[in-house]
Amino acid sequence: MELNANAFGRNARKALLDKTLQEALGRTTGRFQAHRDAAVAALPEFEATRERASRIKGDVLDHLDTYLARFIEEAEKRGTIVHVARDAAQAREIAARIAWEEGITLAVKSKSMASEEVSFNEALQGAGVTVVESDLGEFIIQLAGEAPSHIIAPAVHKTREEISLLFERHLGEPRTDSIPELVGMARKHLRAKFLSAGMGVSGGNFLVADTGSVVLVTNEGNGRMGTVLPRVHLAVVGIEKVIPRMADLPTFLRLLPRSASGQVISSYVSIVTGTRRAGDPEGPERMHLLLLDCGRSAILEGKYREILKCIRCAACLNSCPVYQSVGGHAYGWVYSGPIGAVLTPLLVGLPEAAALPDASTLCGACADVCPVKIPLPDFLLELRSDAREQGLKTPGEIAAMKGYAGVMKRAGLLEAIERIAGVLGQFFTKGKGISGLPYPFSGWTERRDFPAPAAEPFRKQWKIKRGVTR
Amino acid sequence: MPYTTGMDPKGPIPVSLFFTCLADAFSPGVCTATVEVLERFGATVRVPLSQTCCGQPAFNSGNRKEARAMARKFLLSFPDDGFIVTPSGSCAAMVKHGYPVLFRDEPRMLARARAIGERIFELSQFLVDVLGVTDPKSDFSGKVTYHDSCHLRRGLGVIEAPRKLLRAVPGIEFVEMEESDRCCGFGGVFSLKYPQISCKMTERKVERILATGASYVTSGDLGCLLNIGGLISRIGYPVKTIHLAEILAGKTAGKEDAG
Repeated sequence: MELNANAFGRNARKALLDKTLQEALGRTTGRFQAHRDAAVAALPEFEATRERASRIKGDVLDHLDTYLARFIEEAEKRGTIVHVARDAAQAREIAARIAWEEGITLAVKSKSMASEEVSFNEALQGAGVTVVESDLGEFIIQLAGEAPSHIIAPAVHKTREEISLLFERHLGEPRTDSIPELVGMARKHLRAKFLSAGMGVSGGNFLVADTGSVVLVTNEGNGRMGTVLPRVHLAVVGIEKVIPRMADLPTFLRLLPRSASGQVISSYVSIVTGTRRAGDPEGPERMHLLLLDCGRSAILEGKYREILKCIRCAACLNSCPVYQSVGGHAYGWVYSGPIGAVLTPLLVGLPEAAALPDASTLCGACADVCPVKIPLPDFLLELRSDAREQGLKTPGEIAAMKGYAGVMKRAGLLEAIERIAGVLGQFFTKGKGISGLPYPFSGWTERRDFPAPAAEPFRKQWKIKRGVTR
Repeated sequence: MPYTTGMDPKGPIPVSLFFTCLADAFSPGVCTATVEVLERFGATVRVPLSQTCCGQPAFNSGNRKEARAMARKFLLSFPDDGFIVTPSGSCAAMVKHGYPVLFRDEPRMLARARAIGERIFELSQFLVDVLGVTDPKSDFSGKVTYHDSCHLRRGLGVIEAPRKLLRAVPGIEFVEMEESDRCCGFGGVFSLKYPQISCKMTERKVERILATGASYVTSGDLGCLLNIGGLISRIGYPVKTIHLAEILAGKTAGKEDAG
């Protein structure tokens, strides 16, 4: 997917002025959050489960090589052909080769964010394969030629009016504002594809090391259909998705749907363990698993390791007032919201995405909801510090910070400046708010007043009142 | 759970006031009110005059070198014993949680930061959790709604203390706003780097405030109040911002800063 993360400010301003987008965001993000909060409140052991999940993921990250080796061994035992891609280019090459070797011309794909990281669809299309997105949201944005704007609800930025227009233009369907009718249209169109596709492509929510299984958590049934009907199944999954034991799965299944959509359990949980065996009524004859490193090993080595605990529930997006204000596209890459603001710079390099860690008020709402307890605000702070160390801050900001720190070194100097500002402030504003300030404060006063400095700072008042001379 | 001090409850309660640079420069009435309330409940308040800024704006923007210099000065400005109380959840959280990050590679400063972090409290937290105040003895009157500052609520975990105090004031009609725990959009440097997003968030906050019909919106952080108040004053909405300390002090205190 094309990277445009450093244009966050510009993208965000555009998003704020986009009336349709604002309407769509207003309709949905609050609902997600309310459902999540209700589901969590109804599970008394949520905190304990969260604690356990975080610990399990921590253990996985401490021994990722061991767990991955075990997973690969078990998966291969059950007929899965495992490929590992170091980077996006290699992932595309492997995907294209699999399609070519298997003789694929049509593939149905269920939702996968990891595949977006490597521009998977483009790779297959380059190899002459038609790729049809079968998740309803992904189907919609594929018709629109857009990228997902949310981890679990990729078309969350689209209104039903826009969707009906797309279906009219691309599928020749009549206009409607009924959601069930729109779903029916997509289903009719997709059914034919499922029946004729040679390959089903999926992501994977968990990789179970002791059984070699790929676990899919979905709501639409497209994931199930795409992994059992076509002759070949290709799953594209990040290496960090491994969990040690099948017995650990319930812990995560308790957290993921609740955190994502407020569901107690998703409509479908598919546990795909190898190819069709003798006597199985259905299932793929061939199963490929494409494991993506794509920067993850490097993250594992550093101070941001815990970000790899993420189970992609999107609760941090739904809780984030910045995400809610501008939507996912503003973040300029695959992942948006707080997880995107941390993960994108780590996966693509901080110089390419230094604008993202600044895109947060550090309000902490994300850390509050994260089901695996990733310290997202701490990581945002750490990345901002890295930006300074890597020379990515503007000279203006550094000069301002040095000047400010210089003043704060001496209380006397600060007091003198406060008193001058106080006199000027009172003279020009008569104690009312300031309605216009020069850059870099001009953004503040565009729609807000800035307070006038007090005529006499507290320190001075205190000295006078208590007769302190020092 | 009440904080155990190990001190004689009838003895003097030594408190150093961390007045915050923001209140010092923009709302000295908040500092005066804080002193008044602390003294009302038996604290002996001293004000270390060499204090300046805790360094949070530098820390939050990733400029740790400058933040560290300010943090060092802060740690040397405050005495080695007694409580440190501040009318700001955000500044208290900076000392408590930010300083250990700044000094993670300097064991001696780290120990000092941790020790001071143990003794620092936001005003409402100190009154309720340490002093066990149930009646703030304030004569403030009016319809009041409360905005949870992010760092007081999620940074320090202080949710109920300010509400308990507000509810205990006889003249106050306390009303909760929707989404009281949602960020007001200030975020320090965020409000300068992304002012349009910041304003969008502030507008939503102000809508929620107005929906309560309250005459006052209060909070434990001046930063939020300056931000919210800036929008209120620009549009001319019929609601005033007032710091929690000023409400607790009562109607005689801090009037010039309200609104």
